[in-house]
Amino acid sequence: MTIYTGTGDKGKTSLFSGERVSKADARIDAYGDLDELNSILGVLAAHLSAKEELVAELQQIQSDLFQAGAWLATRPDSAAIDSLQEISAEQIAILEKAIDRYENELPGLNAFILPGGHITAAWAHVARTVCRRCERKVVPLIDQSMKAKVTVPYQRLLVFLNRLSDYLFVFARQCNRIHGVLDKPWRS
Amino acid sequence: MKTHVSTYAAVLLKRQWLSNKSFGIIISTPSGFEFEPGQRIRLSCGGHERDYSIVSAPKESDLNLCIRNVTGGKVSGFLSTAEIGTSLSIHGPHGYFTYKPSPRPAVFVATGTGIAPFCSMARSGLTDFTLLHGVRLPEDLYYATQFQQSARTYVPCLTESNKLPANAFKGKVTEYLEKHLPPAVYDFYLSGRREMIRDVTLLIDERFSDSLVYTEMFY
Repeated sequence: MTIYTGTGDKGKTSLFSGERVSKADARIDAYGDLDELNSILGVLAAHLSAKEELVAELQQIQSDLFQAGAWLATRPDSAAIDSLQEISAEQIAILEKAIDRYENELPGLNAFILPGGHITAAWAHVARTVCRRCERKVVPLIDQSMKAKVTVPYQRLLVFLNRLSDYLFVFARQCNRIHGVLDKPWRS
Repeated sequence: MKTHVSTYAAVLLKRQWLSNKSFGIIISTPSGFEFEPGQRIRLSCGGHERDYSIVSAPKESDLNLCIRNVTGGKVSGFLSTAEIGTSLSIHGPHGYFTYKPSPRPAVFVATGTGIAPFCSMARSGLTDFTLLHGVRLPEDLYYATQFQQSARTYVPCLTESNKLPANAFKGKVTEYLEKHLPPAVYDFYLSGRREMIRDVTLLIDERFSDSLVYTEMFY
């Protein structure tokens, strides 16, 4: 079956909650960035194909991002919200444990580092910056969720993205470490 | 929607031809399998998988499916001739094409076997909806009796027949929507062929803006 429907040919698309909105709508903008982040994680995973454990970790995050995207594609006052699965505290805890684990293996930092080094570290830094952009797009959507009194899932989504940004910073450093590349400090 | 997705074993219990190109099958409901009206199951055979919307209601003892016999179709071809008693593997339930209660009028639009999810909703007790069912010929109006009883308005839309059943419309569902559905804000549920979903969605954008649109594409 072909993937095209043609329903978006005039600049509109459908949210999961059924609304027909402009492709420039804030929700589309937000989950478009989440899609971009997910695709970058795919590039990163492809460069890390020999490291099965790291790839599995990234692929789990890619799945989590689909779950997150469904929330961004749903207006909080919709009945469709009952179909969604919340980002769990455990999913956030998994990121935190990974951050702790990598930090224990990495040398301490006393300066900013230049994003880059090994190709995998460079992509992880790109992913981190896109993740931060996602956070900035999600924050305005939280206001709508507060009006609809559906605050917990959206706030947890924000926590997840914040933690994921931190994870990607540490993951970038870990990528440099396992490939024998030193992080380059910023010299002012 | 909190149904548990898993793989189950089921048995083919009965097959009944609905027209010369579509048939219904009844399979046993596996222990522990739960679904909501409008959801699908994924049926596997010989390394091939196809999704089919469930026709029956959750409260019924067996699962009913409505299957279009696709020329050269691996799964539909197998199911069209499989012996009664054949073991089947099903995975699910899948999908989010379920009825969402709303103050806006619900308008269901189906083509062909896309009628299946609406049948499950009606058999589960849903009544306050308008249904358009686009088919070529009167014999393709499977489950018409069900909808005559449960729908607030049921309009068969026939494209290739001059012998129209009562209350039927000669033409496509899009033509009916353009000519007869008063401009207002609705909750549209579209199920069936891609071309229908595209044409109706674009029509909704023009004529029924601010309506909600939920879709289930069959082929």
